[in-house]
Amino acid sequence: MKKGSWICILALLSLGSALAQQERFRKSPPIPDPLALLELPKIESMRLMNGLTLAVASRPDQPFISLELVILAGESQSPKRLPGLASFTAEMLSRGTPLVSAADLEERIDAIGGEFSTTTTPDFSRFSFHFLDGFLDRALETLSLMVLQPDFSDREIVALRRTQFYDLRQKQRDPEFVGRRQLLRVLFKDHPYRQSLYSEDVIKNLTRKDVQAFYELYYRPNNALIVLAGNLDLAIAARKVSHVLNIWPKKDMERPHLPSPEANAEDRFCFVDLPQAKEATLVIGNLIFPLAEPDYFPLAVLNQVLGGTPFSRLFMNLREAREYAYSAFSRLEFFRSCGYYAITAAVIPSASSASIREILRELDRITRDKVSNFELEQAKSYLIGHFPLRISRLDELGRSISELLAFSSGDAMWSRFNDNITLVDADRIFEVAQRYFLPKPVVVIVGSKDVLLDHLRDIDRLEVYDLKGVLLYTLIKGVEG
Amino acid sequence: MSKISVGVWLSLFVLASLGSSAPQEEPGFPFSWTRFTLKNGLEVVLSEDDTLPLVSVVLAYQAGSIHEQPGKTGLAFLLENMMFMGSLNVGPMQHIGYISRVGGEPSASTTEDITYFYQTVPANQLALVLWLESDRMKALEIDAAKAERAKQSLFDEITERKAADPYLESLLAFDRLLYPDFAHGHTLWGREEDILRLEVEDIRAFYTTYYVPNNAALVVVGNIDLPRTRELVEKYFATIAPGRKLPLFLAPRPAEKKEVIQAFQDPLIPSPAFHLGYRVAPPYSRDHYVLAILDFLLFKGNSARLYRKLVKKEGLALYVAGGIEKRKDVAVLKLFAMNNNETMVELCQKSILSEFNKLRMSDVSSEELAKAKNLFKRDYLNRLATPLERAVLLAETVFSPVGLDALPDQLSRYMRVSPYEVRMAVNRYLVPEISVILNVKPK
Repeated sequence: MKKGSWICILALLSLGSALAQQERFRKSPPIPDPLALLELPKIESMRLMNGLTLAVASRPDQPFISLELVILAGESQSPKRLPGLASFTAEMLSRGTPLVSAADLEERIDAIGGEFSTTTTPDFSRFSFHFLDGFLDRALETLSLMVLQPDFSDREIVALRRTQFYDLRQKQRDPEFVGRRQLLRVLFKDHPYRQSLYSEDVIKNLTRKDVQAFYELYYRPNNALIVLAGNLDLAIAARKVSHVLNIWPKKDMERPHLPSPEANAEDRFCFVDLPQAKEATLVIGNLIFPLAEPDYFPLAVLNQVLGGTPFSRLFMNLREAREYAYSAFSRLEFFRSCGYYAITAAVIPSASSASIREILRELDRITRDKVSNFELEQAKSYLIGHFPLRISRLDELGRSISELLAFSSGDAMWSRFNDNITLVDADRIFEVAQRYFLPKPVVVIVGSKDVLLDHLRDIDRLEVYDLKGVLLYTLIKGVEG
Repeated sequence: MSKISVGVWLSLFVLASLGSSAPQEEPGFPFSWTRFTLKNGLEVVLSEDDTLPLVSVVLAYQAGSIHEQPGKTGLAFLLENMMFMGSLNVGPMQHIGYISRVGGEPSASTTEDITYFYQTVPANQLALVLWLESDRMKALEIDAAKAERAKQSLFDEITERKAADPYLESLLAFDRLLYPDFAHGHTLWGREEDILRLEVEDIRAFYTTYYVPNNAALVVVGNIDLPRTRELVEKYFATIAPGRKLPLFLAPRPAEKKEVIQAFQDPLIPSPAFHLGYRVAPPYSRDHYVLAILDFLLFKGNSARLYRKLVKKEGLALYVAGGIEKRKDVAVLKLFAMNNNETMVELCQKSILSEFNKLRMSDVSSEELAKAKNLFKRDYLNRLATPLERAVLLAETVFSPVGLDALPDQLSRYMRVSPYEVRMAVNRYLVPEISVILNVKPK
């Protein structure tokens, strides 16, 4: 017998002996204790005299206060000729008042151990302010300067144009960002949500007059809400917030009705050239519309089964079984008027075509066969177990509550979240899969044209776009047509 | 949270509401904890927090890049990766699978002196985490195929880091100047030629030397029952055999007290830049607390002195960042700035030195110092914000020279720093005669 074989036998014998000698409890995972009760902080809310909604989640154990101000106007409210205006206006708020410079505002924020950031979505603009407990008065005073007396000076407008231009250029180096933006450009076509999918060249068009007009129209207390989380209660919060923001004048307004986008139904393959990309990034998805609330929970479980974790179908298939991909995940995102699912995979260029086929096969499979009991329980266990982790930091808690209120989601997504997930069964998942996953998705491929196009010749019709979303040409089986 | 903890927090809030300029006693860790040592030497710390039904477990080993020998660099990082590749009863990558399936989050990180493995899971899954961690501490499976995979993944990570940061090569060269001894000065992830030559036996030797209970601390923070948790810890860890006596860590060569100015050519960088550094007082020494506040005054926040001066007011730098860096028993103050051209590099360095001169000649205002302290306090309290962050802080402190008993007093020590102490620290440490400068030039 060869030396190698002896070594193998000895290794197996030693492993067998180690396994036999160890304590019994080491051989298999322990049985978990019963799941502990999740007690969420109670959300108390009220409407102030000027129409501002105020909500408070009391967390007396925290040395910070988290403040979220949400203006219920996002990028979908930017005029058609001025995409990016909502985001630009939101950023301008912290850039000074006629009497307090942008630098002084930064100084005030730092002085209370604060952090301030701005996020703009298609539906709303959010200002997140996180600071040391004991400084609520000073934080509200600073916030009121920004909200009530923004200057929108030409100097700061020029500076912000430059910053946003370079920020967006930087983001465009990320193939996932580029792919997701292209997917949504196709899905939203002429819908107002397309306004949020702009390129850096539109920023130069924004003027002080546009910003001022957007601010005047939408930055109103009756179109806003504030969420405070930390060591305080609603009575204290109402008194302090009213003290600084009661002079914020309300104005009659109606939230614009957003038309219903339609899901894609035909084969659409799009390519975006990103010359420096080493791998191929696939972003595949479609709209989920109309979305009825009870469908959210089976969809969330479905998403887990399909691609929520490294142990979901997509990752196990594309990475572990076939070794095509570095990663493969799916996600759901919801807006006020619709939602969408997106599968994102970073794959080896030579396997890009095969990876697309596998992803489409997995999508087809989920509409044909009911998920197994094992997958179902695993996905539910993940979602229930992970829920408290999503709100374990005070700023995450405040942000989650602000989104609940902005979308008027109610208790179903909060204190009844775990119960609603528990009730999901394989039949409900099958039902929503049939409803939302049967229409053909849009497939976006991002990568270097020189490397990838050769591997995509078997696609019947491939639309080639630039980073601005302009269709450059179409390839029919790899030939320009 | 226990009633005692709530009481301590309340006193913190009362003190905070009085304003932050007056010296005050700030509880550095307003949570109770229990500590014990198993017979095999494993340090265990337990701390309750019933805010949410979660538990965080951190297992920290004193095994970092400073424990590597010349020619064998990369071992610490490699082993962190291999700890997920399977042990006697847990298959490759199953550790992550077990944690993810219950909604938890697993992770790991390697520093110069400690490697951390951490996970947060629903509180009812504590036993699962202890089972997983004890299995890989007791019987990690190391073989040639796994070693090759781990090496490849380390090479990928090095390539990724280099691609993401065009100034990384210059930073590594700067580290070698600032930390002249091998232990502190070599890279965290090792030299590629060393990694290539690492044998399975080298990896196994590093594991059996450092991944042992008598070189580790297990910290459990969250919604736990103390007696039950202790019982579980003993069940899973008490019978793991201790390792041999750990090799002595030799103190580094003291910094040479002379000015060092060198140039580094790199055709791939987008614009000229420079690194500036000073060897400063070691971690947890008296001056360290002062220097930490000085770090926040100079570098942290949007209104930090150097950012405001160099980027916003004078326009001499495109970017500036810096701060105190600790590598076990050694600390340095580092600064990195990117400039438009080489004239700007020169002007920028002059401007920094003139700012240090100002700090040397006169005290900072009480407002500016209060602002730096509040920014520091925010960072410090952020490290207590979740069970996981608290567990990491506890693990780090177990291995620190001051130990856990000093933890309650830590925040106060930073908050007591005076303008005079800041001036003295600048005089003592930020002097050109002991500065290290590496000018990074595109060609």
